[in-house]
Amino acid sequence: MDTAATPKQRGVAAGIFSALVFLPVLFLSSLIAGREISRFYALAWALFAAGTAFAISYTGRVSFYRRIFFSVSALAFLLHFKFALFGASFEASSFKAAPFCHIAMAPYFLDYLYQQYLAFMSGGWRLWGPLTLGAAWLFITLAIGRGWCSWACFYGGIDDGLSALPGRPLLKIGNWVFKVRDLPAALLVFLLLASLAYMLPVYCLWLCPFKFGESFFDGDPGIRRVQYGLMTFALGALVLGPLLTKKRIFCSFLCPFAAWQAFWGRFNPFRISAEAEKCNGCLRCADSCPMSAIKCVPGGKAEILAYCNLCGQCLDACPQSGLRYTLFGSVLPAAGGGLAARLFTAESFFVFSALTLGAVFSSLWAPAALRDLIKLLTSGG
Amino acid sequence: MPALFSEGFLLGLSTGFYCLVSCLPLLAPYLLAEGSTAWRFNFGIFLEFLAGRFLAYMLFALLASLAGQAGRGALPGWLLPLSMLLCGLWMTGLAAFRVSAGSGPCPLKGGVNPFFKRLPLLLGFVTGINICPPFAAGFLRLLELADILKGFAYFGGFFAATSIFISPVMLGTPWVGARVKEIGRLTLLLAGLWYTVLGIRGLL
Repeated sequence: MDTAATPKQRGVAAGIFSALVFLPVLFLSSLIAGREISRFYALAWALFAAGTAFAISYTGRVSFYRRIFFSVSALAFLLHFKFALFGASFEASSFKAAPFCHIAMAPYFLDYLYQQYLAFMSGGWRLWGPLTLGAAWLFITLAIGRGWCSWACFYGGIDDGLSALPGRPLLKIGNWVFKVRDLPAALLVFLLLASLAYMLPVYCLWLCPFKFGESFFDGDPGIRRVQYGLMTFALGALVLGPLLTKKRIFCSFLCPFAAWQAFWGRFNPFRISAEAEKCNGCLRCADSCPMSAIKCVPGGKAEILAYCNLCGQCLDACPQSGLRYTLFGSVLPAAGGGLAARLFTAESFFVFSALTLGAVFSSLWAPAALRDLIKLLTSGG
Repeated sequence: MPALFSEGFLLGLSTGFYCLVSCLPLLAPYLLAEGSTAWRFNFGIFLEFLAGRFLAYMLFALLASLAGQAGRGALPGWLLPLSMLLCGLWMTGLAAFRVSAGSGPCPLKGGVNPFFKRLPLLLGFVTGINICPPFAAGFLRLLELADILKGFAYFGGFFAATSIFISPVMLGTPWVGARVKEIGRLTLLLAGLWYTVLGIRGLL
């Protein structure tokens, strides 16, 4: 966005931009949350999303305000769905159906196809219901592609928020990391095959660090110990990894959905592109990238990998302003001056899509989490 | 004999999906790691893999028929986990050495005896001795038949039918590039570790 405009021009443009985010979020959040709780909570959530939109548009700092929104959404998810498993303070869910875990969707895809084939052959047409999940995923992929992992994933917000806490990394990750950068893709292929072979959600059973319960574990004590070990390892990657390295270790190396979305995300038009002529090879962008998705190519220039999930961190880090949001690598033609020039940019379109989608999706839990919190505070625990 | 071939073939046709899911975690990563964009080369790997499987099946047909003749109606319990362990160790070793092919003791470096390049054959063989449920069903039938030639015919039919189910693994290989090969090697490593753990657990 054009930062050369006057504060007043920036304020007006940011106001319009935040209103554009606020209206659909309020409408859809009210529909979603209003089914079971007061629409006041949906209003509060929509205002928070609109505030984020205003701050991003006014300051031009995409990643900083995105991260606040993203982390709050993830904390709300933990508060409402996960902590409810342990305490009576929170209701288990204010909704009849929890959102289906998208991370499980990718490695279980072949099993799903097989089950759908069986349903089809047995005439059980009603079992095709989960196709709505596929339609939702397709919509999300076309709207924000890989941006899901930095704007809407209710687990990614934990990793991302934690990676922002340390001032500097205690452990510096070197270039060796790019030798195993395709590990999530390999993990995805392996999990697809192993899940199909055993007709089991192998990722959920063996690696998922988010399962707050023992019902997933194997009955065999030996296998159980291995499963505990792997889960602890994944939990370490999720919590300690970002605290030590300032990188999203779990999302970058252990999340099969990140690989899935990196593959399908190429069909989405939004990109972050580096301008070669502005790049002086300082590689601050690569250092700042929490996903280890920027590497130095021969000649000292930065190359953005398919694992980039458009968080915008590199835009803030580049001293030459050599990185920007584009549509398939191209900038939009200049749309006159003033407001139009500020609003009709690839960045505005992407931030609008990602923030609106993220806020609407999190309406499944964020307004309810606010309600839980107020209830907890007013009841004194 | 043709009737027994047909019987084995029908068993394979009706249960081939289980063979597919048993072989896929081994064959698919291998093809990704070692295949190329040349379809013929990949088909060669596939045929070698099938040949290895065929050898394993025939060996089992022989052993089962002999066991049937001797009146022994059970397989030793350690056989399946041991075959899994061998599979796992082989895949892990292959992936680990190939991932660091620049400096590691890569068995496929130039100049080695061509015998050591017959890896798909060996992989097919160790996959073939992984006993999946339809394989076990065929094995019981052979114990009952207790005739070596009939056993060959029966398992020949079983092999032919199950190979049809495995063949779709070739579909993705025309897109094998340097990056896909690297992903395949890492997948091979993960699958190898997985089978190693399962094998050790079974033996313990």
